[in-house]
Amino acid sequence: MTQPPAGAPAQARGPVIEARDLHKVYTMEGGLEVRALRGLDLAVERGEFIAIMGPSGSGKSTLLQILGCLDAPTSGSYRLAGVEVARMSEDELAAVRNRRIGFIFQAFNLLPRATALRNVALPLMYRGVRPRERIERAAAALERIGLGDRLEHRSNELSGGQRQRVAIARALVTEPDILLADEPTGNLDSRTGEEILALFDAIHDEGRTVLMVTHEAEVAQHTERIVHIRDGVVESNERVAPRTVPSDPAAAT
Amino acid sequence: MLFENVRSALEALAGNRLRSVLTLMGVMIGVFAVTTTISLGAIATAGITSQLQDFGNQALFITPNDDNPRSTRFTDADIDALARLPVSILRQRNIRGLARAGSEETQLTVNGVTANAPEVDRTIKLARGRYFSEEEDRRAAPVMVLSADAGEALFPDDPNPVGREVSVTVGSSRSFYTVIGIKEPLTGAFTFASNIAVDVPLQTLYLNHPSLARGEYPFLPVTVGLDRNIGDIEAQVDAILTRRRGADTFRIQTIQGALTLFDTITTILQAVLGGIGAISLLVGGIGILNIMLVSVTERTREIGLRKALGAKKGVILQQFMIEAVVLTLVGGLVGLGAAIGVLYLAVALVPFLDKVVLSPFTVLLGLFVSVATGVVFGVWPASRAANLSPIEALRYE
Repeated sequence: MTQPPAGAPAQARGPVIEARDLHKVYTMEGGLEVRALRGLDLAVERGEFIAIMGPSGSGKSTLLQILGCLDAPTSGSYRLAGVEVARMSEDELAAVRNRRIGFIFQAFNLLPRATALRNVALPLMYRGVRPRERIERAAAALERIGLGDRLEHRSNELSGGQRQRVAIARALVTEPDILLADEPTGNLDSRTGEEILALFDAIHDEGRTVLMVTHEAEVAQHTERIVHIRDGVVESNERVAPRTVPSDPAAAT
Repeated sequence: MLFENVRSALEALAGNRLRSVLTLMGVMIGVFAVTTTISLGAIATAGITSQLQDFGNQALFITPNDDNPRSTRFTDADIDALARLPVSILRQRNIRGLARAGSEETQLTVNGVTANAPEVDRTIKLARGRYFSEEEDRRAAPVMVLSADAGEALFPDDPNPVGREVSVTVGSSRSFYTVIGIKEPLTGAFTFASNIAVDVPLQTLYLNHPSLARGEYPFLPVTVGLDRNIGDIEAQVDAILTRRRGADTFRIQTIQGALTLFDTITTILQAVLGGIGAISLLVGGIGILNIMLVSVTERTREIGLRKALGAKKGVILQQFMIEAVVLTLVGGLVGLGAAIGVLYLAVALVPFLDKVVLSPFTVLLGLFVSVATGVVFGVWPASRAANLSPIEALRYE
C-alpha cells in the first residue's frame, strides 16, 4: 500500500482535532433536508479524554462519523493531526481511518468466525503489514489488554466484556492518533462496563486521545471534559473534576 | 492480503455449506458437460480409429446405385476387370434361412463366399476347426463355418460343435451341412449387432439354391493393402466401373468415408452437448450472481466494519470476487472430477472405446470456464459491496 497524502507526518503540536464551522445536511428521499450539524466547532488537544453527550437527534452521531472519517461534512474544515480531511476521496479517507483512527463500537463489530488474533490483525492487513508481523503485533495488543490466553478463541466463543476488549485491542493495534468510542459500555452489564471503562482510563493514562459518545452521565464522569451537543452545535463544555478513585490496575494490564 | 481474502472466502463458504454446495451445482454440471463432451468425442474417435487399424486392411465397399434404374448387379466380368488392380475382391451372396441342429433352431443369414474370405475380411478368426478350402468350394462340399453367435444359438451346450450336422431350410428346400469350424466372437466396434450367421462355400450355396442367379453379386467387398493409397485405388475402381457399366450406376463407400460421417455425427453431438453445457454454465452463473448478492446484503455490516478499519474499495472488490471465483472453481473441479469418473466408466463399459483420452487443453478449458463464470457473475455483487458507504453499512440492521 502506498502512503497517501492523508498519511503525512502528524503534527506534534497543536490540537489533534480541529473542526471549524462543520455543517452536515442530509437530503432525504422527497427532497426534505435535514441539517444535522449547523456550524459546529470543536478542538481536542492531544491526550485529552472527552465525552460527547446530547439528546438523540442532536447530531452527536453525525459528528462522530465525520470525526471518524466515515463521512465527509457538507461544508467546514476538519483537520486531523494537522491534515485537512474534509474534502478527501473515499480511498483517502479509508487510509486515514486505517492510520489515524481507532474505532470502538457499541456492538463490538468483530468478525464472528475469526479468532481474536485475526480480528485484531485485520486493520494491519489493510495497512499492508506482512502476515508474520501482523500476528506478532496483534498478539502483543491482546496481551496488553489481558487477553493473552484467548488468542485463538473465536469471537463468538468470548463473553461480551472479552469481545469489547478484543475490539479495543483492534483499535489500538495500529497506534492511532485518536480513539473514537460509540457507547462502548452500552451492551455490557454494569460490572463489565466498569472494567472496560477502567481500560479506557488506562489507555488515556498512556497519553492517548479518547473521544467517547455516551448518554450515561456516570460513564461521562470518567473523562476530563464533557462536550454537550444540541441542535447541531456545541452547547457547552464541562470540565470534569479529576477522579479520586484510581483505575483498577488488574484490568489495565 | 490475497491469501487472507482466499481464506476468508473459504470460511464464508464453509459457514454456509449447504447453500454453497447448491450454488456451485450449476457450474459443476456445466463444466462436467463441457469436459465430458469434448473428451468423449476424442475418445470415440481414437477408439474407432484404432479398431479400423486392427482391421489390418483398407477397404472399399461397392454397391449398385439404387436410385438409378439402369443400375444392375455386378458380374464376374466386373470382378475380373477389377482384379487387375492390387486388390482382393470377395464374391459373396447371402440368403436368410431357418437353421436346425437337434432341437435348437434359429433364423440366420447364410453367406456363400469364396475360400479367400479370411484373407479379405481380417475380422474372421477361427476359435475351433478350420475354414473351407478352394477345392471344397469348387466341388460344392456341404460344409459350414459358424459365427460365435450362431454356435451359441444352435449348440448352446457344446463349445466345440465341429463335426455336427446343421440343416438349413429356405422356402420349401432343405439342405444339410457339416460344421467344420466356428469363429471367435467379434470384438470392438463390430459387437453392436448380434451376428447369427454361417459361411458356406459359394458353389454349395448355388447348388442348394438353384434360383440364385450365378455370377451376379449385389455388392462387392474390396480390400486394399495398407501400403497402397486408397484414394488412387478408389479412382481406378471408379474409372473401370464407369467404362464398363456407365456413370452413376454404382456407389463406392470407403471406411474413410464412414469415418468422416462418424466425425460429423460426433461434431454435431458435441455441439449439442456443448450447448447444454453452456446453458448450464449460464444458469449456474446466474445462481452465483444471486447468492453473491444475498451474501453481500447479509454481510453489509461486515463490509462497513472492514471499511471503517481502512479497507479500500479495491480490497473489498477483491474479497468478494475471490469468493465468487472460489465458489465456481470448486464447482469446476468437482465437475472435472465427475467428468473424469464418467469417462473411465464409459471406457470400461463401451466395448469400442479403449482408453481415456484427456488432453491438458480440456482440463484447462474446464478450469478456465469455471473461473471465468465466477469473474463474470461475481463482478456486479462485488462492486456493490465495494461501493457501500461505510456509515450506511455500519448502520444496517
